[in-house]
Amino acid sequence: MAADSEPESEVFEITDFTTASEWERFISKIEEVLNDWKLIGISSGKPLEKGVYTTGTWEEKTDEISFADFKFSITHHYLVQEPSDKDGKEDLVEDALPLPMQDLLCMNNDFPPRAHCLVRWYGLREFVVIAPAANNDAVLSESKCNLLLSSVSIALGNTGCQVPLFVQIHNKWRRMYVGECQGPGVRTDFEMVHLRKVPTQYTHLSGLLDIFKSKIGCPLTPLPPVSMAIRLTYVLQDWQQYFWPQQPPDIDALVGGEVGGLEFGKLPFGACEDPISELHLATTWPHLAEGIIVDNDVYSDLDPIQAPQWSVRVRKADNPQCLLGDFLTEFFKLCRRKESTDEILGRSAFEEEGKEVADISHALSKLTEPAPVPIHKLSVTNMVHSAKKKIRKHRGVDESPLNNEVLNTILLFLFPDAADKLAEGFESRTVTSAGNNPPPENEDYNLFSQFKSAPSDSLTYKLALCLCMINFYHGGVKGVAHLWQEFVLEMRYRWENNYLIPGLANGPPDLRCCLLHQKLQMLNCCIERKKARDEGKRGSVSDRSPGGSCGDAGKGADHSADNPEKEKEVGKSWESWSDSEEEFFECLSDTEDLKGNGQENGKKGGAKEGNKDPVNLKPEGRLHPHGKLTLLHPGEPLYVPITQEPAPMTEDLLEEQSEVLAKLGTSAEGAHLRARMQSACLLSDMESFKAANPGCCLEDFVRWYSPRDYIEEEVVDEKGNVVIKGELSARMKIPSNMWVEAWETAKPIPARRQKRLFDDTREAEKVLHYLAVQKPADLARHLLPCIIHAAVLKVKEEEALEDISSVRKIIKQIISHCSKVLRFPNPEDKKLEEIIAQIMSVEAIIARARSLKAKFGVEKCENEEEKEDLQRFVNCLLEQPEVSVIGAGRGPAGSIIHKLFVNAQRVSAVPPLDEELRRSGSSEERRLNVGTTSDFPPPTGREVILRTTVPRPAPYSKPLPQRMYSVLTKEDFRLAGAFSADTTFF
Amino acid sequence: MDEDVLTTLKILIIGESGVGKSSLLLRFTDDTFDPELAATIGVDFKVKTISVDGNKTKLAIWDTAGQERFRTLTPSYYRGAQGVILVYDVTRRDTFAKLDNWLNELETYCTRNDIVKMLVGNKIDKENREVDRNEGLKFARKHSMLFIEASAKTCDGVQCAFEELVEKIIQTPGLWESESQNRGVKLSNRDEGYGGGGACGGYCSML
Repeated sequence: MAADSEPESEVFEITDFTTASEWERFISKIEEVLNDWKLIGISSGKPLEKGVYTTGTWEEKTDEISFADFKFSITHHYLVQEPSDKDGKEDLVEDALPLPMQDLLCMNNDFPPRAHCLVRWYGLREFVVIAPAANNDAVLSESKCNLLLSSVSIALGNTGCQVPLFVQIHNKWRRMYVGECQGPGVRTDFEMVHLRKVPTQYTHLSGLLDIFKSKIGCPLTPLPPVSMAIRLTYVLQDWQQYFWPQQPPDIDALVGGEVGGLEFGKLPFGACEDPISELHLATTWPHLAEGIIVDNDVYSDLDPIQAPQWSVRVRKADNPQCLLGDFLTEFFKLCRRKESTDEILGRSAFEEEGKEVADISHALSKLTEPAPVPIHKLSVTNMVHSAKKKIRKHRGVDESPLNNEVLNTILLFLFPDAADKLAEGFESRTVTSAGNNPPPENEDYNLFSQFKSAPSDSLTYKLALCLCMINFYHGGVKGVAHLWQEFVLEMRYRWENNYLIPGLANGPPDLRCCLLHQKLQMLNCCIERKKARDEGKRGSVSDRSPGGSCGDAGKGADHSADNPEKEKEVGKSWESWSDSEEEFFECLSDTEDLKGNGQENGKKGGAKEGNKDPVNLKPEGRLHPHGKLTLLHPGEPLYVPITQEPAPMTEDLLEEQSEVLAKLGTSAEGAHLRARMQSACLLSDMESFKAANPGCCLEDFVRWYSPRDYIEEEVVDEKGNVVIKGELSARMKIPSNMWVEAWETAKPIPARRQKRLFDDTREAEKVLHYLAVQKPADLARHLLPCIIHAAVLKVKEEEALEDISSVRKIIKQIISHCSKVLRFPNPEDKKLEEIIAQIMSVEAIIARARSLKAKFGVEKCENEEEKEDLQRFVNCLLEQPEVSVIGAGRGPAGSIIHKLFVNAQRVSAVPPLDEELRRSGSSEERRLNVGTTSDFPPPTGREVILRTTVPRPAPYSKPLPQRMYSVLTKEDFRLAGAFSADTTFF
Repeated sequence: MDEDVLTTLKILIIGESGVGKSSLLLRFTDDTFDPELAATIGVDFKVKTISVDGNKTKLAIWDTAGQERFRTLTPSYYRGAQGVILVYDVTRRDTFAKLDNWLNELETYCTRNDIVKMLVGNKIDKENREVDRNEGLKFARKHSMLFIEASAKTCDGVQCAFEELVEKIIQTPGLWESESQNRGVKLSNRDEGYGGGGACGGYCSML
């Protein structure tokens, strides 16, 4: 065999490969690959530990080789092992059998729960497979099979590789392999039989023993003992004694009008079908000596209850229909809809659309025109509805996707203030601070900033949940379009009638939230300012604190007066907000005006002309005295002026503005222009300052505005006194720098008469227009983060009930994944789908846990200790492919499983007549039933491993490992034999 | 030119007024120093492309005004920044004492929490130092920031500050790469894979 390696290889000998056949090339290619993978030589390794096939890591390497133009893939599968100190051992076991042959007899890893079939059949830790590369290719003819096998044999012989080499023959789905393993003077042949119809003699142990022995053909008598390992597997599909606990949601209840608004704020959860479809019980006799038990065609000792080892696996329904997952998926589908709201709500709506907005505002104003007359009985939403109904009549469209009851419920849920005010007067409506309380500072609450969604108590979040619900239960995309239209109407109504939008935090748009939320906050800012202005105009609110110098001065003095920032915060707090706000724009009721002097009553007109006397000596628009500072020249106290609040911005506006600023480039002119563009705020502050401090100079302003730019030094004057002398910093003294320039342009105008820095009317209209043109798809994209946020919270909440550590870990991963994906403006669909799939899988896991808990009666268990054990057992079932049952059939879990089977059997024991007939027709099943006293159904699978060590082929040959594995299922019978022979004299 | 740029990063410079934010930036981008640089109004903006570890990175640097009053305006520009340079003046203790306020501001207005922060003590060329290097170091450690002392005037540490910051950002996964970075979580423990064998990939339970 190894003839070529030794001979006197003369230097001049020419080896000619030019005429090598395809076959030779194929063989040499195999050898090459084996060489590359370093599979040559004596394979060594430790004896296998128990269960290492399950706990260890399996890896594989693949290459491609071809026989003529037929492509094969060659794959090396192996269990990753710690490198042992090879060299020392190798010498000792010089004469030992190749490792794969030893593995044939190893009993530590029989029936691994999850492994390559060759591992399962032969117990190998390492092997190489040659299979047709294309999935539908097959080596069918016998001669081809033999040719392949010969190639393998030659390659193994040439290289001295001890790793078993298999070739896959027949169609791939049949999983037919033949192979060979060679060692010094020994060879093992791997053979296989695969049948659909089972010959009756092989259905029981004694028949299998017969075939094993005859296959070995051992010349010895008596034959050395055969060891047997047997596993019977039973399948439980019929759970009917244990109802699946999930109640499908009652849709009718939702439309029935009895829905509390709460229902709309919740996402559903749980599987609609049992997420656990089957339970597989494997009863194992790991080691039986021949002759201990009887199992033949008339009688069997193999009673599953008596089996020493039980293990269980559950089969999970592939994609159990789960409510939360369905909700998410359906909502996500909305993102792909292309239709606009008008297209969805019908052509007629579209035609009238242009008129519609005007119509509505008209209708609304008609309804609300007599503003001083309070409308006591109608809620805001009701008013909208009546307006809407009129329009509908006008349009001739009576059908709308959402019925009024549902719509009303939702609108009341979204705008609870409308209901609160049913009985209240007009005046009391002015403060709508619902949802304005400082938010709870906990981790869950702050999730919104990671998801870029919206706080879970906000209007936006609730709207998202409502839309999700509507999309699922109430008319799909049509319902969504309808609700959105109503929502936009409500927004306009609120803007036009100065009602703040509830459920939004005060202040400028929160850039951590989604854009839609920011837009709503922006609208609220506009409403707030408009309201303040209008109320000022109406002058009807007499109990307002006067604001201005006297009212606020006291307040300001309490806070360290030299800290304008604190001051600013005070200015932002709710109560002083509206105060300072209404000072801005021409309010007649300004107490300071009245106090100032009588002739200033005409001020309003004067301001509009913008020609106020620049040397107006009357101080105006003071907020409070600065405290420490006095003006440099007149020596009067320096007053901090009332200033305009900066314009609130949503992120898209901000983006626009940064882009404009960035586009100016980095040149000096660009920088100058940029500064000029941003100086409006500075100029406004300077004007306010001048108005509040008649006779002031730039130094005064700088000392308030940028104190570090006023440098003070102690100087000794001519009389010898120490005097503090101050001057502007060098950079403020640069001729015609922007600060000086602005100061020179600034006129003493108090903030309230300045041009508004923030045009609330325009901004509000922009927001309303933006809202109106959002298609359902846009809306879904805006709100998807909120829905994902809500789903994660829901999953978290449900997990907390079940306490599954693996789920907790996945949820953490989902959150961090979300915060990466959702932060970017337009997340890819694929990534969003991934997130949704993750949430769905978590839902399924929790549902499975619940299902298992119910089935194993964990809750019903009274003994604490047992309950804990059961809980652990259930958790293992979720996480591990196979779980062994402690105490087998007699343990607590075992007896529950036993009962499950008994119950299922009892139900099927009264089968319909025809089934009875069919049953009795099958002698096979009848026999199996006899042995199990009917507690268990006939086993779905029977696996038997037979092993022995005998000399082959002659009595004087070396005793070698022999093994045969057989598996019998309903429609499949397989024998996989590995028979070794001593090749020394043969 | 944009072709071979690995990524564009947004960097912020913040700190009290007059600590030399604009000077540091000018030194970094134009390598000049102007003792009479006008006080910034609102925000200013400069661009520079640098190479870190062979990767070209474009920096869009936003310089902000330090005055209290501008703080109602400037934080809007914090959005989306990957790095921030927080500057104080080593010759003015009050600018060091205000650092906490600036960090609060960052926390409030930054849209991400993994932004890389660098603390720079500026004006070390001056004689009348009031803040010791160790104090800066301690502060930076406490708030897990990078730290360096620098002088825009003498050029000490300026280049280094920016480079370190950019390198750190590049090394922070998920901070700048939006495409290939997040591949998602694997939920199944190798349920699939292992092709080769039979129709089920060779892997199978008995049934």
